[in-house]
Amino acid sequence: MGQGVEEAGPRGALDGLRVLDFCRLGFGSQATLILGCLGADVIRVESATRPDPVRVMPPFVPDSGERGEGFGGATLANANKARSPNRGGIFYKYNTGGKRSISIDARHPDGLDVLERLVACSDVVTESFAAGTLARWGLSYERLRELNPEIVYVSMCGYGHTGPDADYVTMGPTAQALTGLTHMVGLPGREPAGWSFSYLDHVGGYFGAIAVLAALAHRRATGEGQHVDVSQLEPATALAGALLLDATVNGRSARRPDFPPGNRRGGAPQGAYRAADDDPSHGGRGDRWIVISCRDEDEWRAFVRAIGDPPWAHETRFATLADRLAHVDELDALVETWTCTRDRYEAMHLLQAAGVPAGAVQDAADRLERDEQLAARDHFVRLANPEVGELPLEGVPFDLSATPPHAGGRLRRGPPCLDQDGDDVLRELLGLDDAELARLRDTGARS
Amino acid sequence: MSALAGVRVVELVDEPVEYCGRILAGLGADVVKVEPPAGGRSRHQGPWAEGHEGDPDASLNAWHFDLGKRSAVVDDQDGADLLPRLCRGADVVVHTLGTAEAARRGIDHEVLAAASPGLITCAITPFGLTGPWVDYVADDLVLMALGGSMATCGYGTADPPLACWGDQAWLTAATYGAIAILAALDHRDRTGEGQLIDVSAHQASASMTEWHVMTYLCSGQPMARFRHPTVTARDGKEVAALVPDFLGPHVFEHFRDLLVADGVAGPLAEPEFEDPRHRARNHGELMAATARLAERHDGEELFRLGQQAGLPWGVIRAPDEALDDRHLRARGHWVEIDGRTHAGAPFVASASPFRFDRPPPRLGEHTAEVLRELDEREP
Repeated sequence: MGQGVEEAGPRGALDGLRVLDFCRLGFGSQATLILGCLGADVIRVESATRPDPVRVMPPFVPDSGERGEGFGGATLANANKARSPNRGGIFYKYNTGGKRSISIDARHPDGLDVLERLVACSDVVTESFAAGTLARWGLSYERLRELNPEIVYVSMCGYGHTGPDADYVTMGPTAQALTGLTHMVGLPGREPAGWSFSYLDHVGGYFGAIAVLAALAHRRATGEGQHVDVSQLEPATALAGALLLDATVNGRSARRPDFPPGNRRGGAPQGAYRAADDDPSHGGRGDRWIVISCRDEDEWRAFVRAIGDPPWAHETRFATLADRLAHVDELDALVETWTCTRDRYEAMHLLQAAGVPAGAVQDAADRLERDEQLAARDHFVRLANPEVGELPLEGVPFDLSATPPHAGGRLRRGPPCLDQDGDDVLRELLGLDDAELARLRDTGARS
Repeated sequence: MSALAGVRVVELVDEPVEYCGRILAGLGADVVKVEPPAGGRSRHQGPWAEGHEGDPDASLNAWHFDLGKRSAVVDDQDGADLLPRLCRGADVVVHTLGTAEAARRGIDHEVLAAASPGLITCAITPFGLTGPWVDYVADDLVLMALGGSMATCGYGTADPPLACWGDQAWLTAATYGAIAILAALDHRDRTGEGQLIDVSAHQASASMTEWHVMTYLCSGQPMARFRHPTVTARDGKEVAALVPDFLGPHVFEHFRDLLVADGVAGPLAEPEFEDPRHRARNHGELMAATARLAERHDGEELFRLGQQAGLPWGVIRAPDEALDDRHLRARGHWVEIDGRTHAGAPFVASASPFRFDRPPPRLGEHTAEVLRELDEREP
């Protein structure tokens, strides 16, 4: 396994860091994918008998040329349709960064022994089980510290490990509801539209990564490890920005008729406008949109020039931002008479050339196939997995000039098959020989 | 001791990414917000403390995002070398400038790094520092549109795609900025080498849509607009009431007990619902039963009933309604500074707590102090 790492590319910022990673699903795995992209050696501890649900949940990666089914049926019944634990599409989203996989049964005494020896040669232990699970297996923080006094232990679960509701469970939409983020998406006077995806699985993971990196900074300065407990709720509250202070300082709640304001942010015109339908398969459904955002008079004037100085744009009802906001529905209708006959990308480039903030509303296909900027910056990197072949996968959205991150991590490869690296990890880190590897398999410790 | 004790950060931002400096301040860094004489961007955005509309020292937006920082006014039109000097003396510079603009203001990373090889510069820009769209302009709406969130959020194709309020794409980029800075500090502490970080808010936005890219790769169909199921509680509040089958059979038993206790189980009392395949085929019945249960309880009560049964339910709160949450209070999440309540630590750290020691600064409150420190360091 170790061969080829040197030639694989320049070293990442976290070169030499080893993370023993018990994370599953999205939240925790987002944290360790970041660490992996930054060059850490992330070793996923998995269970073949109880695989990470995202390994066996639709959408499934099809064989090339096949079309699989989309997300939406995440049920036990569908999970049973999984051909193997290496086909779950969401697994591929969250487990880039060159992560390695080893299957060990922590509830088997020999499995626990192996895990304890891996803890001793790791810098960080991460996990995203329900509070208390790892401790029940015999791997409490106290035990981890006995095994490795400087260990950094980062737990990530819905409500965290302490507090009166520590046994509550969350998925992204739960945490988004409870912290106000669902409420913040919608049109005034309508029920909340919310997020179509688990934004807080990502955000929780970002703060899981921050927790690891901050604890490592503390350890560099003091030699001291620690336990950092990350919940899915706490990283979300700051995302409401000034809304909390508006309540605590002004007594004004965000539960009010004019909030959320849809796409209005105080400019005009500002919002999503219907564009020409560029997809014949839509059959005239026309769900193509462009966002335009004129925040001030300069951007408004630039917008008017760019769309060819139509007479309506010079009417007094649209003279100032205050005028335009007072007649915003009429203005939006007129703007849409311009956008609705134009291709959303042509309109975007025309407006951007004039200095007007504008962007096509892109779906996943657009990002993969039409977005020149993502392409130029290698946002999607083709990475291989032995069972499913190459897929375009994402890493982190930044570059570092001296220690470039990579979606394939230090190994420059795609997410691992279940237990793909088990033997290598045990040979390399614990010095096990073939006989010992065989014995662990025979006793069931590797299941 | 704080994780970033002794780390000096200079923040010079003209986009909504003050959140990056807020995170670093919470981790213990000394974050100096460098502002023009009229005040930085955050101070000119409302809402304001009532009766102080337009006052740059009373923007609630600035109070939130500049918590824990110091403020120094630097007028770099005056020809002095002040801004480059401040940056050279820092461990980390966070800015939102393109390459040419950074050079014009004398803080080009290569030039600064020639004198301070350990310096870390983090540029957080709409599209990054390279590529065909490098000069394009974007606010959060544009970023949420291009990134993919909007295409799938909203009520349906009759209504426009929607972006969440509150600059979420920028906040994501700012958070990634903090991650990259922490990683670069790790590298610098071990090697002495600084570097330039190039964060693209567009890429940050594009990478936050969970399963959307994979579902397209797997099925060939991009996601349409989609809302997670909710039910309406007795008090009119909506509750995210997911009944996911993959939680296992015991969770369904608890859920059914809950319905039976309220006399609203209906067909779910029938034995065939014990089969997860039958439940998957009749998911509508599960939601209908949940809706009947919801009519009998207020939102905060309903979500806790579900949680006690092991279901991942959550009442849809306005952000300020989370202030009363007993769990967040017990974990000491909210921070009281100068009589105001702020969103606090994103996690509970046993040895290096995340905390704020300073109220948000008034414009230029620390100018003299910051310049004096600079002169002492670099006479």
